[in-house]
Amino acid sequence: MEAMQITIAHLLPDLLNLYGDRGNVLCMKNRLIWRGIEAEIVEHPMVESFSLSDVDIVFLGGGSDAEQKIAALRLSEYEKEFREYVESDGVLLAICGGLQLIGEYYQSDDESIKGLSLVDAYTKSGDKRLVGNIVIESELPGITGSFVGFENHGGRTYIGSHAPLGRVINGYGNNGDDKFEGLVYKNIIGTYLHGPVLPKNPILADYILTKALERKYRTPIILPQLDDTAETRSHDYLINRFR
Amino acid sequence: MKFTQKIQLLFTIWICKLCSLAGKLLLGRGSSAPGALALRLCPWILSQLAQGVKGKTIVVSGTNGKTTSNNVLYAILKAQGKKVICNNSGANMLSGIVTAYINACSIFGRVDADYACIEVDEATATHAFDSIKPDYMVITNFFRDQLDRYGEIDIIVDLLKTAVDKVPDMVLLLNGDDPICAAFSHDSAHQRFFFGIDEQIYFTAQETKESRFCTFCHHELKYKYYHYSQLGDYYCENCGFTKPPLNYPATCIFGDGYLEFTAMSHIIRANLIGYHNIYNILAALSVASLLGVDLSNINDVLSKYKPQNGRMEVFTIGGVPVILNLSKNPAGFNQVITDMHRDTRKKNLVIIINDNPPDGTDVSWLWDVDFEMWNSDAYSEFSISGIRAEDVYLRLKYAGISTDKLIYEKDIKKAIELMLSKDNEVLYVLTNYTPLVETRKIIQKKAK
Repeated sequence: MEAMQITIAHLLPDLLNLYGDRGNVLCMKNRLIWRGIEAEIVEHPMVESFSLSDVDIVFLGGGSDAEQKIAALRLSEYEKEFREYVESDGVLLAICGGLQLIGEYYQSDDESIKGLSLVDAYTKSGDKRLVGNIVIESELPGITGSFVGFENHGGRTYIGSHAPLGRVINGYGNNGDDKFEGLVYKNIIGTYLHGPVLPKNPILADYILTKALERKYRTPIILPQLDDTAETRSHDYLINRFR
Repeated sequence: MKFTQKIQLLFTIWICKLCSLAGKLLLGRGSSAPGALALRLCPWILSQLAQGVKGKTIVVSGTNGKTTSNNVLYAILKAQGKKVICNNSGANMLSGIVTAYINACSIFGRVDADYACIEVDEATATHAFDSIKPDYMVITNFFRDQLDRYGEIDIIVDLLKTAVDKVPDMVLLLNGDDPICAAFSHDSAHQRFFFGIDEQIYFTAQETKESRFCTFCHHELKYKYYHYSQLGDYYCENCGFTKPPLNYPATCIFGDGYLEFTAMSHIIRANLIGYHNIYNILAALSVASLLGVDLSNINDVLSKYKPQNGRMEVFTIGGVPVILNLSKNPAGFNQVITDMHRDTRKKNLVIIINDNPPDGTDVSWLWDVDFEMWNSDAYSEFSISGIRAEDVYLRLKYAGISTDKLIYEKDIKKAIELMLSKDNEVLYVLTNYTPLVETRKIIQKKAK
């Protein structure tokens, strides 16, 4: 059998590149390669047009306020293509500003930025930035355990009837009120967790990779176990810090 | 000043001087604690003391290079036989600044100084400028740093803008190679001068650029060449924004264990490593030039200038050079990585990263550093320590460095001793902010 292959599209890396989130792409790539699965990273900067038709995983990070506004405009040109990708179970990881961008809108004091409306979530700006280490309990179907990271956002996101990625144990989460963190819809995972989130939550990384492989190869996938000593140590460090 | 105010001021100065003395005797070091106390006892103390400076007051701000720029300027002015107030230990919050002024005070509450060279934290500037009205302000650069504290670069720029607008007749000295810096305060009445490097120098690091977009029209900036991060010769095809003509350019640049360049018709030579130090020296020279200082003895001054506080500071332990550097954000790390890349010796490393508030409590920036450059035979082993050793270890693993080369040791002293016991040609010790003092002490003790 031919080696399996996954294409990861990193959208607007020149605009949405805050807080080391490109580490998520590096993490997915390595965890595929370590298992003998080919990984191709395609970066689509602002000035290039792109297509999602041969993509298995889309990564959308966050940017500064000014950059995010430009990104929202640029991505809106592809709204239809995004919708088709998501509705055909395409895997999308959206972090922080990315999570805000896939929702209906971002409402700040003086303007409303229209999102991609891939999910029924919306975001309002708040007074105080929600900043700090965070631990959540997984609500991901079939996954028990906790995810850890660092959150830093001014926006308050409300996820409507969507399921959250997890419930907040320590930290703020989507809005600091409803104890929800992130959201899950089909194969979209949105979250405020930086860190970057995937290297120190290998279970989440492997969940995403499994979903992408299963969609592409239309067969149940069980990924071989890796030596996750360093990953687990990083994860457990934050858990213990709150004890 | 009213009599009661005079008493309040004197009382505060005496208390704080005693405090300072006690701190030095008991702890063997100064700190910003006396200044913090002074601000509680006498909130208006800084504006009173700042007025006492006879000549000009210069402040230095920006993300990286504040301490070196300010300390080189201090060395230049001291060499002129001037009395200079300077927070040269890098204590750049309000309390550290106040401490520096109090140290320069007589017991009668009189400031005895020709100049004040003050390094100021970006977020502190706006408060500091309520009391200090500087004549000149240097802004070194705008890089990503401690994002959890400041939010984003835009926020830092806005903070500094608010600060400089409080002092309309202040002259700005800006890094013209940095598009964010060059656009800074473009719409204000401030007189602006630019310094920078006017030729391409060899840099290899590939990294996340802070902003590749034009401040004015948001189109992507084009570059004739990069130095590092977003520094270089840039232009915007859409609106015509470009690197400004430099008032203080550096050219004819050489460097191999030292730095040499031409600026202000002098050939400058300094015993400093790292091209980023050209900006730091240049910033100091630009101010000195504006102050009318005679620069004919500049190389004497620079030859005596020793990098301090772990800024590419070289120690010798058991015949082996140990280079200590403060690397606290991606731009700082990428600078030292580029410098190490040019160092052909076989290298061992100690990396110590904390996440205390002064460090920034978010360590995700580690993933914006080009650690992939260390994935080579030229780097033997990595001893990893500090509060967030787990995160550094994980980052290096994903940079492709074999875990056989990685050693996880939470105890800083042990982490250093472990590497000293190896066969070294050179040992680099890189730390961020809060582990630096402890690390430097450990190394200094062993170097004796």
